[in-house]
Amino acid sequence: MNDVSWLKSLPKYHQRQFKARGYDKIFGINVEAGEDRKSRVSRRGFLKGAGAAMGAAAAAGGAGLWPGRARAACTMNFMTWEGYDDPRIVEPFEKENNCTLKAELIVDDPGAMAKLVAGGHRDFDVAILDSPWNLRFGPAGLCEFLNYEDFEEEYDNMYPQFAHPFTPLMWEDKITGLPTRWGWVAVPLNLNYSTIEEWQSYAPCFDPANKDKIGIMDWGDWPILPMAFYAGINPYKELDRAEINEMREVLRALFKNTRALFADLTLAQKALIDGSVKTLLGTGTYTTSGARLEGHTEVLTIVPPPKDGIKQGTVWLEAMSIVKEPNEPEIAKKFIKHIASTEVSYILSLTELTANVTPNKRVEELYTAEEREILQADDMWDAWENCYFHDIAPNTDELLAVFQEELSRAA
Amino acid sequence: MVKVVEKRLTDRELLVSALPATLIQVAFFVVPLAMIILLTFQTAKFYRLAWTWDFVTWQDVFSHAYYWRVLLNTVINAAICVVVSLVVAFPFAYALATRLKAFENHIKVLIIFAFLTDLVLKTYGWALFLDKYGVLNWMLKSVGIVGPDFDHGLIFMPAATIIGMVYNLLPFMIFTIYLSILTVDRDLIDAAYDAGASKFRAFWEVTLPLCRPGIWAGSVLVFVLSLGVFLEQKILGGGKSPLMGELIHQTFGTRINWPLGAALTVVVILAGTMIVLTFSRFYRLQKYALR
Repeated sequence: MNDVSWLKSLPKYHQRQFKARGYDKIFGINVEAGEDRKSRVSRRGFLKGAGAAMGAAAAAGGAGLWPGRARAACTMNFMTWEGYDDPRIVEPFEKENNCTLKAELIVDDPGAMAKLVAGGHRDFDVAILDSPWNLRFGPAGLCEFLNYEDFEEEYDNMYPQFAHPFTPLMWEDKITGLPTRWGWVAVPLNLNYSTIEEWQSYAPCFDPANKDKIGIMDWGDWPILPMAFYAGINPYKELDRAEINEMREVLRALFKNTRALFADLTLAQKALIDGSVKTLLGTGTYTTSGARLEGHTEVLTIVPPPKDGIKQGTVWLEAMSIVKEPNEPEIAKKFIKHIASTEVSYILSLTELTANVTPNKRVEELYTAEEREILQADDMWDAWENCYFHDIAPNTDELLAVFQEELSRAA
Repeated sequence: MVKVVEKRLTDRELLVSALPATLIQVAFFVVPLAMIILLTFQTAKFYRLAWTWDFVTWQDVFSHAYYWRVLLNTVINAAICVVVSLVVAFPFAYALATRLKAFENHIKVLIIFAFLTDLVLKTYGWALFLDKYGVLNWMLKSVGIVGPDFDHGLIFMPAATIIGMVYNLLPFMIFTIYLSILTVDRDLIDAAYDAGASKFRAFWEVTLPLCRPGIWAGSVLVFVLSLGVFLEQKILGGGKSPLMGELIHQTFGTRINWPLGAALTVVVILAGTMIVLTFSRFYRLQKYALR
């Protein structure tokens, strides 16, 4: 029972997370020394303690003494990507504001947008989506615009790239949302099976030698974007018929080498780690950082150099907006500030599933060298320079139809 | 003594007794279906429905061959699933009803447990089993069925989709066939033996024809449910052979084109209904022919 070698065998990041969450105290383990503080805690003692704690908790709950939840003065609902609902983020806020937070996790932006448009906006106070969708809130009348003065401190903490006025999140000079987390989509690869030199473009995706070695993320238009870049097409402008036809040809060629379309992040990560696929089109740091968190630093995302004047990657950004006519406007504003704070940005950048950089420049001071490596933090501004900022692609629907059509043809 | 009373549709008592079932059918089947059909004549703009009343969506459906290609792929997949389910389920149900009486209840409980387990969990379980580092690949390599350089596993192959579909839908087939076998009058089989029939002949000419309602009901259930699957194809099959369920899901969710999603739904319902009705007709004709 007192053997802590399993903990020592974990990457240091996990050892620190173990401590950060207070598990070292619960289990009586000295993380730094890798020693068992007790020997002092026997199995019998632990069970007795746990039993007493559960009894006390049940009694407190029964008597209405459970802090926060039972007595919360308000409830705030937010629609969000994973990570923002981390108890380390939510619970301190609930306690401080005597307000219960209810998160609804989303798995795709269009679906979330459709829900809000269909009247779901009445159920939420805050929405955290990818930036083009927050921007759409403006013309759709789905958000309360943010006052710069209210968030001046948060903007001051951000890198210059996100400084006010940050146009990707502004509609008619009004702020639709505050940036929270970002990353880049380009070429994920595993150095055990590929080299960086090999992937200086997307050409290996079409190499017959890579038949059944190309994975595609089944995430809407995301896998279409890199193929457009490779074809020398900027998908963020209106495309003509010839460009759509060119995209059709590229996708047709791509599907000849495709092993699978992955809808699930963990299966995709597994395939990249075990070499089932050499790359995963339509994703980037969001997927590879999850593997790096687990110690697979051989898995990373690179951005190929621009080709024929077309950049070869996309920077994505999540942003928080206050939904139109929220039930708790002040709490919603406080929550946005809470998420943008340095401490929470740090937690948000290293969640259990994925690790991504944030716009908050002060967070960098908190990262260890290992965490910087997990995040590929040294690459972030190169990626920023060599990627398009993800925007509204006017021909998305048509390209999705072409994608489906060519996929069915390949089958 | 049983008395047969003829009832007319104008019979008040009959109408009153049928009212609850009719109301349920109307509220939970006819009205939603009517709404889906209405939706197909609208258009979607800026993620909202525009009540325009036109045929744009249907023009789209009939002018793109790939919707029909996906439908054909779906029907073929469903048919394969029915055949494989039948081949697996019949001997199992027969043994359960006739040979495994001592373990009958235990086995039924096990099947129900598996049936009630979450579909996503079961499908991911199969993903691990069929993976290149999974149990199946290891077994196949160990007995030399595949060579050591077979490093794919069965996952992300069309066969994996069928395995997942059959596993998830098999209980529907097993239980309907099992119930029909239970209703077979044992005296008829004994009479066949008395008339000199071999075991196989008695099974072929007595048991099997009497089980046909169960086989038919199980096949219809599995076929109709197969038309709507998408999880198995996405997780186990690698998503490379799109099925209608996935296409509809993407059209509603990713493209936010609700009228097109509704139209594709209507196409699947109509195709499924027509296929089942066609086979029903053959089934009935065959039944009369047997008489």
